[in-house]
Amino acid sequence: MAEVTEELKQKVIDYLKTVTKAKNKEVAREIGEDKHLVDKAIAELGKEGKIEYLYLGASFIKLKE
Amino acid sequence: MADGETPLLDELEKGPWPSYVKEIKRMASKNAASKDLLGIQELSYKDKVTHWKHGGIVGVTGYGAGVIGRYTDMPDKFPNAAAFHTLRINQPAGWFYNTKSLRTICDIWEKYGSGMTNFHGSTGDIILLGTTTENLQPCFDALTDAGFDLGGSGSALRTISGCVGKARCEWSSIDTLDIIYNLTMEFQDEIHRPRWPYKFKIKTSGCPNDCSAAIARADFTIIGTWKDGLRIDQEKVREYVDKGMDINGLIVNKCPTYALEWDGKSRELKFYEDDCVRCMHCINKMPKAIRPGVDTGATILIGGKAPIIKGAYLSWVLIPFMKMEPPYDEVKDLLRKIWDWWDENGRTRERLAELIERVGLKTFLKEIGLKPVPQMVYKPRANPYVFLK
Amino acid sequence: MGRTDIGPPNYQDMLPDVIKKNYGKWKYHEIQRPGVLKHVSESGDELYTVRVGSPRLVSIDFIRDLCDVADKYCDGYLRFTSRYNVEFLTDKKENVQGIIAEMERLGLPVGGTGNSVSNIVHTQGWIHCHSAATDASGIVKAIMDELYDYFTSMKLPAYVRIAVACCINMCGAVHCSDLAIVGVHTKPPKIDHEKVLAQCEIPTTIQSCPTGAIRRHPDTNIKSVVVREDLCMYCANCYTVCPAMPLADPIGDGVAIYAGGKVSNARKPPMFSRMVVPYLPNNPPRWPEVVDVIKKIVEVYANHAKRYERMGEWIERIGWEKFFKLTDIPFTEHHIDDFTHAVETYRTTTQFKW
Ligand code: HEM
Ligand code: HEM
Ligand code: SF4
Ligand code: SF4
Ligand code: SF4
Ligand code: SF4
Repeated sequence: MAEVTEELKQKVIDYLKTVTKAKNKEVAREIGEDKHLVDKAIAELGKEGKIEYLYLGASFIKLKE
Repeated sequence: MADGETPLLDELEKGPWPSYVKEIKRMASKNAASKDLLGIQELSYKDKVTHWKHGGIVGVTGYGAGVIGRYTDMPDKFPNAAAFHTLRINQPAGWFYNTKSLRTICDIWEKYGSGMTNFHGSTGDIILLGTTTENLQPCFDALTDAGFDLGGSGSALRTISGCVGKARCEWSSIDTLDIIYNLTMEFQDEIHRPRWPYKFKIKTSGCPNDCSAAIARADFTIIGTWKDGLRIDQEKVREYVDKGMDINGLIVNKCPTYALEWDGKSRELKFYEDDCVRCMHCINKMPKAIRPGVDTGATILIGGKAPIIKGAYLSWVLIPFMKMEPPYDEVKDLLRKIWDWWDENGRTRERLAELIERVGLKTFLKEIGLKPVPQMVYKPRANPYVFLK
Repeated sequence: MGRTDIGPPNYQDMLPDVIKKNYGKWKYHEIQRPGVLKHVSESGDELYTVRVGSPRLVSIDFIRDLCDVADKYCDGYLRFTSRYNVEFLTDKKENVQGIIAEMERLGLPVGGTGNSVSNIVHTQGWIHCHSAATDASGIVKAIMDELYDYFTSMKLPAYVRIAVACCINMCGAVHCSDLAIVGVHTKPPKIDHEKVLAQCEIPTTIQSCPTGAIRRHPDTNIKSVVVREDLCMYCANCYTVCPAMPLADPIGDGVAIYAGGKVSNARKPPMFSRMVVPYLPNNPPRWPEVVDVIKKIVEVYANHAKRYERMGEWIERIGWEKFFKLTDIPFTEHHIDDFTHAVETYRTTTQFKW
């Protein structure tokens, strides 16, 4: 599988700037990238402390304030 | 009521069963959060309602799971338990411990938390109950330094657990502990970073006795089984009979499929292999004489869950027999296929079983690439409404 | 920053030598007395297990007490069971008495094996959950005090598994237990309209209701929802997604009791527990009404079931009509299912008993 690039991570961040919260699969759909790759990118952003998770019955991600 | 008195809870210190109130009091004498926990619990007993609110966003860097945020609705009265978050710590498979690691967890939790725990939660984790937002990260860091990690929560893969298996049970047809450990290590990302419609649980039991209740409480249930016949030691059977066991009443007549027959003349237990459904009854009652077969593997069942939202389900058979040998690639591939399909098609908070019920098992099998077999159902349909495509 | 994704410790580092040596080689076992198992390996090695009840909600000092005993008698190893019992493992027969004596000193019951009432699987309740319709730890303590003798003996027809869940989320998966106690709300959610605006997403909230009871507020100036109370079944699913709709109520909340479930495949396939008492009020600290019903059912079962018959198998044999008669529990309209798979439970035969 292809590797996560900085561009992809930036694309995810740019998308998250336009919404209050989103699910991984919505992010993948909206930016038109492979879901597994987006999952990986989001995991890396989490480890870098750039996004956070919230739980409202189901789990979402959002940019860290 | 004077400050710090707990007349209602004190009632639960009486009686022979060990008391959790006594346990909270043991900590309350030296830990302010536990002292407030006791106060909050006493007020709940008086008011007959919970005094906890929905959690907010708390966690440790890099993870979306493993921490449950918790706040009381009476922060002014109980400032030391105002924030009382829970950490789920992934248990070692089979809940085996050496005392060194248990003592390390106790020391860490003495330093960073309330000192109160659940050994264990019903999914399997060690539950560390009650700490502040600031303490979460340092507590987590100390735990990982000691070799422990968080378990799952939210819409993630939940901590995997199962029965004691080959470590101490002669009936285990599969190595439950190794399966648990291997899958847990493989799916760390799925456990720690929730991304699915809802939660997903995997549990495994070594035989159809299903001591870990995997069939009732896991979306993906792995139960050990065998394909050949029982191993019967006729000499030992006779020993049971000679010791006075009512072999007809308690064994033969209780076999659900009439697979056994006691021949009083030849003093032999006849076994009709084709009729046995491997229910475990005769094995359970005559462990020295009857043992499971040796062509071992697992039955994979899917869909079990508690009633929320559409009602409770028991897991149903997906794959009647699968060999279970490391590195368990067949199981891993199947899991990944199921997750992708569920994530693509599931609505928010829709468990796998509910999605399958909505779109039909037929569709599910097609998308996952599995052939229908009669072992999947009790009986074929009775109605004529078939969509013949 | 801490390391991530290291996973749990490898279980192999947690196993005593006798288990490492005989892993997968166990041949048979015996229950030597309630709470004491002896496993024998193909190699001839023996392993003794002493099983002990725990309240599950315990302090770190409790865990340290256990560690002291394990250090003294079990080479520093111990394990827990899926029902929160503690197990001390040793290959030395002579250590069993010592462990039992230590348990007496600590006030912990030895038992939970064979045809006993084992520890009660349960959830968090008022100790830690916002969703709770009752407490869990307190009910468990009250019931186990009363059923203590059944934990430390093996005199029942088969084993009896009890579970408590403090709301119908049923964290403990209680729906397949011989006896299950479940916290229930009986009043619809109380909506805090200002809080809805601040904390809830209205479409998600409306969608969360399985009966379609939630609508947008008729006054379009109020960004909130209303509940059609005649459609509400008090499931609290809405509260899970919207904190502004609590259902907890000191008068209305209570528990329901279910019976006859099992998970084991032995003889009959697994079965769901069925409702036997739709509602009993919360009566802390000791829930006497609940304890009475549970005790009564266990005693009737103990006196009537045949050997090796699980509660659900016994009830199937005698019929639910006899169960209600023997236990003196009234059968009401609430016992008749009207949810999704209701019709499957209606009797389609002329066969029944009186
Ligand atoms: C925020 C409040 C909640 C708290 C404090 C809570 C607490 C817990 C805990 C401590 C466990 C055991 C976890 C483990 O062993 O890893 C658990 C398991 C579980 N929870 Fe919750 N829970 C909450 C909300 C929910 C909700 C909303 C649902 C369902 C909609 C739910 C359903 C379950 C189920 C089904 C299990 C596991 C049952 C099993 O594995 O047998 N919980 N919960
Ligand atoms: C080799 C003998 C056995 C071993 C090592 C064994 C081990 C265990 C263990 C460790 C537990 C958890 C106990 C607890 O938490 O208190 C358990 C529970 C259970 N055992 Fe066994 N067991 C054995 C025999 C049996 C037999 C004879 C049956 C059934 C006929 C059985 C069915 C179950 C079931 C259904 C549960 C509980 C599941 C639940 O409701 O949570 N086991 N067993
Ligand atoms: S499920 Fe079977 S293999 Fe596992 S502990 Fe129970 S009896 Fe043994
Ligand atoms: S395992 Fe069950 S079905 Fe098979 S022979 Fe024994 S009692 Fe009969
Ligand atoms: S059963 Fe309900 S009240 Fe109890 S811990 Fe689970 S979610 Fe909370
Ligand atoms: S409690 Fe359940 S039935 Fe009632 S409004 Fe809320 S979601 Fe609907």
